[in-house]
Amino acid sequence: MKDPRVRSLFTASHIRTRHLDLPPPGPDGPPVEGQGELLARHRAGALDMGGRALTACLARAGLGVGDVDHLCVITTTGFLAPGLSAHLIRALGLREDCSRLDVVGMGCNAGLNGLGPVAAWARAHPGRNAVMLCVEACSAAYVFDGTLRTAIVNSLFGDGAAAILVRADGRDEASFAPALHGFASHIIPQAIDAMRYDWDEAQGKFSFYLDRDVPYVVGAHAETPVRKLLAAHRLPQRAIAHWVVHSGGKKVVDAIKYNLGLSAWDVRHTSSVLRDFGNLSSGSFLFSLERLHAEGRVRRGDWGVLMTMGPGSTIETALVRW
Amino acid sequence: MPQSLSITRETDRVRIALAAPRVDMGAITELEAALDAAEDAGIPRIVLVLRCEGMSFAGFDPDGAPDIHGFHRWEKVVTRLERARALTIAVADGPCHGPGFQLLLACDVRIATRDARLSLPEVQQGYLPGMATWRLARYVGLGRAKRLVLSGAALHAEAAEALGLVDAVAPDAADAESAGHALLGDASPVAGTLARRLLIESFETPAEDAVGHFLAAQARAIAQPAFARTLAAVRRSDP
Repeated sequence: MKDPRVRSLFTASHIRTRHLDLPPPGPDGPPVEGQGELLARHRAGALDMGGRALTACLARAGLGVGDVDHLCVITTTGFLAPGLSAHLIRALGLREDCSRLDVVGMGCNAGLNGLGPVAAWARAHPGRNAVMLCVEACSAAYVFDGTLRTAIVNSLFGDGAAAILVRADGRDEASFAPALHGFASHIIPQAIDAMRYDWDEAQGKFSFYLDRDVPYVVGAHAETPVRKLLAAHRLPQRAIAHWVVHSGGKKVVDAIKYNLGLSAWDVRHTSSVLRDFGNLSSGSFLFSLERLHAEGRVRRGDWGVLMTMGPGSTIETALVRW
Repeated sequence: MPQSLSITRETDRVRIALAAPRVDMGAITELEAALDAAEDAGIPRIVLVLRCEGMSFAGFDPDGAPDIHGFHRWEKVVTRLERARALTIAVADGPCHGPGFQLLLACDVRIATRDARLSLPEVQQGYLPGMATWRLARYVGLGRAKRLVLSGAALHAEAAEALGLVDAVAPDAADAESAGHALLGDASPVAGTLARRLLIESFETPAEDAVGHFLAAQARAIAQPAFARTLAAVRRSDP
């Protein structure tokens, strides 16, 4: 990394550590991999991370792989058919009557796009176990071409997986899980090209593109879904005790803070997840949610807003109450 | 139930006056409700008329004894005022001791009447003047803040003006409020409250972070109707 602009992206302090799975460097520095090798690493990495996240989630609830009735797997960093849900069922030994859904290609916001149908499945099957798994092998989705465009992506994203259990039944006093009260979505069609993962003919790979206006686009529209979400439940914004916001990047988090009037404290877990893991795409907000729970400040009856932003361009929100 | 605050509302402003000589839990509860109502109605300006002899601990807990959680609740309401979606004007109308001075420090514009007296007597009484320790040092510097907090000495209106604690001195409360509105002029609540947030945060934000915060705030400001009007006016006047 000789270009000082590129170097400064990697040394900025808002991201200190990330988990990446990279092959050894090639003769000119960056590893040499084709799209086929990247897809193979996505599959292997996603099965490894995803399997561990799934079993850890089940263990926390005192469940085993045989207890999963519905599995929704979310990923954007690689495509395969059958989807990761089928591979995970085979690899982990989930039941053969486990129903499945794969949400592919929806990007950083996808966790909340997936949570809607997962919650609907859970409501239609009271007492049964639906699991949503977000698994992103971002290091299987890189391109090195010496441009600022790819350097921005390569310096931001990290690998990670997180899973949550969704169930419609009486409140489980032991797990202290929040209840879902509603969703609000907002897509910005004129910004459809601002974030995209599409084919780069010159590199022969999929390449992620982040427009420099992403923070401003997200910021300018952030209030719209939040107002709609809160208005549907007649809540003023001050009623929201906890904000669980996707760790999109420093500028995106600033845009959310200054447009919604949130303090640095309100987004402390968003900032700390960004600092420790980078942008984990669809799973980021679940990492923040876990940190919020671990902190022990949440009280029964508190309201919270979950918020994710990504390609579309889109902002997804959910209202929860503990 | 005794009224601790007197509230008058006009279309574009709400005036909240302390009606009891001492701030107690009832006043805190009423102030919370007044700030809720102003926020829900989207009122762009809040005027706080302060005449205050000090703090009363009535209602801090069921036994009426001072309670740390009561102080916590007080700090929360002061911080809410400081971060209100409206621009805020404090009028120090006569004695403004303890909690009155603390509220004044949280306001965007501060005007004193000629007979105003400002002090923080808490340390002399064996406790602390809330987060005024934090705010006052930012207004006047550490040395002056130590003198005011430790001695509890009262400042006359002119002395408070000389220190930059109040922006102007006026003959009476009505003139003081007018002076506050005149000082804010046409400042829009969005640009004004964003600028206020950046100013407050400037003391602890590294320059590299502050630039990002400024850009996020500026993007919001220039998307508002107030800036669109400015832009239209500039374009009309350009040849």
